[in-house]
This record gives sequence, structure tokens and C-alpha cells, in this order.
Amino acid sequence: MLRKEQNDLLTQTGPGTPMGQMFRLHWLPALLASELPENECPPVRIKLLSERLLAWRDTQGRYALNDEFCAHRGVSLWFGRNEQNGLRCPYHGWKYDHTGQCIEVPSEPAESGFCTKVKLKSYPLVERGGVLWAYMGPPEKQPPLPEWEFALMPADRRYMSKRLQESNWLQAMEGGIDSSHVSFLHSGELNSDPLFKGSKGNQYNMGDMKPVFEVVESPGGLFIGARRNAENGNYYWRVTQWVMPAFTMIPPRADHPVHGHFWVPIDDENCWAWSFDYKVTRPLSQHEVEAMDAGKGIHVEYVPGTFRPAANKDNDYLVDRAAQKRGDTFSGVFGIAMQDASLQESMGPIIDRTKENLVSTDNGIIMARHRLLRSLKAMMDKGTTPPGIDLAHQRVRSAAVVLPPDQPFKEAAKEALVVQAGKEHVTV
Amino acid sequence: MESESARMSSAAEARFRIDAPNSKPRVVKVIALDQRSERVVKELAQGRWNRAAFFTASAFGGAPRKGESFAGWLSDLAGRTKNLVEEVNSADLVVMVATAGENAQAASLIGEACSLKRVTTTALILGSADVPDETLSKTLSQLRPWALMLVIASAEEYVEDMLLALRA
Repeated sequence: MLRKEQNDLLTQTGPGTPMGQMFRLHWLPALLASELPENECPPVRIKLLSERLLAWRDTQGRYALNDEFCAHRGVSLWFGRNEQNGLRCPYHGWKYDHTGQCIEVPSEPAESGFCTKVKLKSYPLVERGGVLWAYMGPPEKQPPLPEWEFALMPADRRYMSKRLQESNWLQAMEGGIDSSHVSFLHSGELNSDPLFKGSKGNQYNMGDMKPVFEVVESPGGLFIGARRNAENGNYYWRVTQWVMPAFTMIPPRADHPVHGHFWVPIDDENCWAWSFDYKVTRPLSQHEVEAMDAGKGIHVEYVPGTFRPAANKDNDYLVDRAAQKRGDTFSGVFGIAMQDASLQESMGPIIDRTKENLVSTDNGIIMARHRLLRSLKAMMDKGTTPPGIDLAHQRVRSAAVVLPPDQPFKEAAKEALVVQAGKEHVTV
Repeated sequence: MESESARMSSAAEARFRIDAPNSKPRVVKVIALDQRSERVVKELAQGRWNRAAFFTASAFGGAPRKGESFAGWLSDLAGRTKNLVEEVNSADLVVMVATAGENAQAASLIGEACSLKRVTTTALILGSADVPDETLSKTLSQLRPWALMLVIASAEEYVEDMLLALRA
């Protein structure tokens, strides 16, 4: 349970809000690089942290992320002409460069210098790892470029997708650290999804339906360990990473690519669920990429031409009651991503957390909220930099390990929980 | 026409959620296992709680030998001796609060009683930053067999936040 004011604090991310301020101190995934595939390509409208923006790429390949609307009469520059190092408003021909600076106002004498007085709000937008990252905070606090491991992999070893989720970011993110739902909601997929099946870890998962959890604070966020019985009195640990505020990484299974998410607010009632997969030492196989393209694993199929999942609230998520009854899928919804999203969206756009009844196994969620609230307070009161910005906090891994019963996973699996150059994730 | 899911998950429909209590307060017994955690628990006990009760087992000297009773080592914060089995019997959740590096042996008796009565246990370890990993490991090994959920928290305030989150 959270008090209403705490819930408001964590769920509101627009300009001027504390949580919005925290998000704005991070590089956030904004677009897939493939959305701006070439110089002078059509611009793309996006909304991030309740701000309407336009992303585009100029004649020299420079990325731009500006206020969507022309400073003159408020026309959307999405209709603009991307030409000769600038974006020209089709209404009266005002032209802007990639920094948002107005460089031409045809109706005014050039000598007047009027255009130099007009500048659209603009944010840095850079490409890394197939993703265009935006920084929307104060320039003097701009951190180094992100160093999440997947983003540093060669293109053939990583896969990234994004989907629209029609709920507040926090209820989506909390799903990413809620390890105890997997044995129920996703039980059908553990042995059938091509990107999950065939792992020894799955046997531990299904052989011990009452996992025990350990939540341990990490420098950037949390380690959430789920412990199940393995052979010879040992424990099988699945350790999920949460890095503040919105990065989660799921423990790997066998040789499958490892995957995780960013949960980025679009506004207070919608978010982008970014989903990545990667391998460190080998290219993703054709079979794996085809499965991801087909919406397997943590990815989805789309409504053509959009990032909205094909199974969505407008078609009741294509729920199949017969499949549910047969046990093919626990909720009747197919696919891991939409099993999560359908339930999280069903909570309503922003869940009222004053009414929930958390239990002991929800301590991962309780601790994440606790850390967010504590960091917000430190940021607002003392200007303390929140966790997750330090590059060391980004060089983390999830892990699946078998350990002797007396060892804390944080220590025994210390190497497995940080990036090891040239080595794969530790997995079972 | 909007689908049922689209309509029902809208903000407008959220206004029609039934505004009635959907649970009864759970009885949460919070037990400090050592003196430092007893201080934390004593501070917590000053707050207003629904059905939380606070105890200390810091006087625990070791497991009773065969024939000895459980009595005497568990007390409320006023120092009155309490009977472990009776307390566990009336609990929905038992929270054990331990300090890294301190003796947490009482966890085994508490845990055993909880196991017998099918009462859920949570263990919180405080002060882990102040001790070497090896010391933390010893505390963990005393608690791990008896806790369904184990949290290593850097801030003492977490205990209060957790209890509030659980509506204790």
C-alpha cells in the first residue's frame, strides 16, 4: 500500500514533477534508430515525460529532438519539409535547425535578425546500440552516454523492440521485478516459447513452486533473488536486476539470449515498454531473430505500421478461454509480454495503490518504492544524484546460478552480477 | 465500438470501483532478534499501527535443551514474558528483525513455531554495510532456513515502510 501522495509522487513524471526530474537526469530510450533510417527522412512525433516532441534527422545525419510545434502559429512540424539542414514549417516557411534554432522567417527581412530570437526547446538525441537516446534534463547535469551492456554489443548480437503500454510506467516496471508471478502467469510459456524452453533452470522453476525470495540493495537499485531447491541441498537462484528508475533485467535461461526492459513514461497514463535481447559472444541466430520478429519471448506482434501490440485492449487481448481451460496459457492471453501488459492495463491507467494488499513476497516492489521515494527526497532536498546515472550502476547483469545453501548470492555470484567483457552471462 | 477491456480499463471507469474495505487488518508480530534491532523495534512501536505488535528476543541465550520450556526469552517491549507459540498462533505474519553480525539464533525457534502453525515469516537484516561479507553470511545462514522472504536493507526506515506497505 502507498498513501495517495506517495503514489502521485511516483507516478507523475511531467515537467516540474520530482519523479519527472529524476527521469530527466537519465539518458532515456526515445526511438529505435530504424525510425529515422536516413538523412532527411520523415520526422517522427513522440511524446516523452508528457512532452510532445518531434524527432528528425537532418541533411548531415544529425539527430534532432525538438518541441513538436512551430513557434509561429503552433502548427505541428510533423508536416514539415526536411530539407537542407533544417525542418521547414509548411504553413509560412519558418525553418529550424537540429538544435531547434530558427534559421529562417521568410516574411521578415533577413537583416532584422528576427529568427535569431526564436528557438524551439530542444534536447540531445544520440544513437547507441540501435537506440536513439534522449536527455531531457538540465545541460549542466548531462551524464556520459549510457553504457548498458546490450547497447555496446555489435548489431548482430542484440535485438531491441518497443511496444506501447497503456498504463502508468510504475505498474509496468513493478511487473518487471515481481518474480513471484512467473510460475503462474507465464507457466505455459516456460516450456513452449522458443526463447525460454529447454533450460535446466525451467525444471527447477517447475519443480519448486514455492520459491523463497531475497531482496538486496545494490548501488544502482536492487538485486531480487528467487531461490528454489536444487540437487544435493544446493539452491537454484534467479537474480533479477533493477536499476533506478526504470531498467529491469531478467535472469537468463540456458543459452538463450538474455533479456530485459526499460519502462519509459510517455505521459502519466501510457509508457513505452522497451525490450532487449542480446548475447555477448555470438551473433543471435536466424531462428532467434525470427522468433523475436514473430513476437516470441518478451516481444510482441504489432498492429501493422504502429508499435501498438496486435493483441490489445480494443480486441480484449485476443483472450482465448478454451486455451486457458486447456492450460495452454494461464490467463487465456498469448505471449509473455501481453500476458503482463493485459493485466497491468486492466488495473486502469494509474492504479490506486491505497487499496492494494501487498504480501511478504512483494518485498521487491516495496523496496523499489522505498528506494525511489528515498532517492527523490535526497534529490529534492540535497541535490543528490540519484542511483542509475553512474556508469558503474549500468554495468550489471542478471544471473541464474546454483549455489551452496550458506552463501549470500550477492557475494557468491558477485562476478556473475556485473559485466564481464567477452564472457556470457552465468546461466543454468 | 469500444471493447469491454478498453472501456473497463479507462480512467473514467476507475471512478466506479467499489469503495469498501477489501481486507481485514492482518496481525503482524514484529520480533527483534538482538539489541540493536530492539532499539529499532522500540522506536517503531511508538507509531500507530492497525494490528502490529512488537516483541524482543534479544535475551535469547540459545536453544532450550530437551525438557526445557520455550518460556522466558521472548518478551514484549515492556519486558513482560510472552509465550512464543501463543503469539505465533495469533499471527498472520511474523517479521524478524536482525542486525548483521549479531546473534540471530532465536530465528530457528521462531521459524520452527511459524512453520508448525503455517505462519508466513519475513526476515529483515539491518546494518549489513557495517560488517564484512563473512559476518553477514553467518547472519544469513541463521535466518535463511526460516524466512520465506529475506531483505537486506541499508536504511532502518525500511522496516517502517515495509510494515506500512503491508497495512500492519
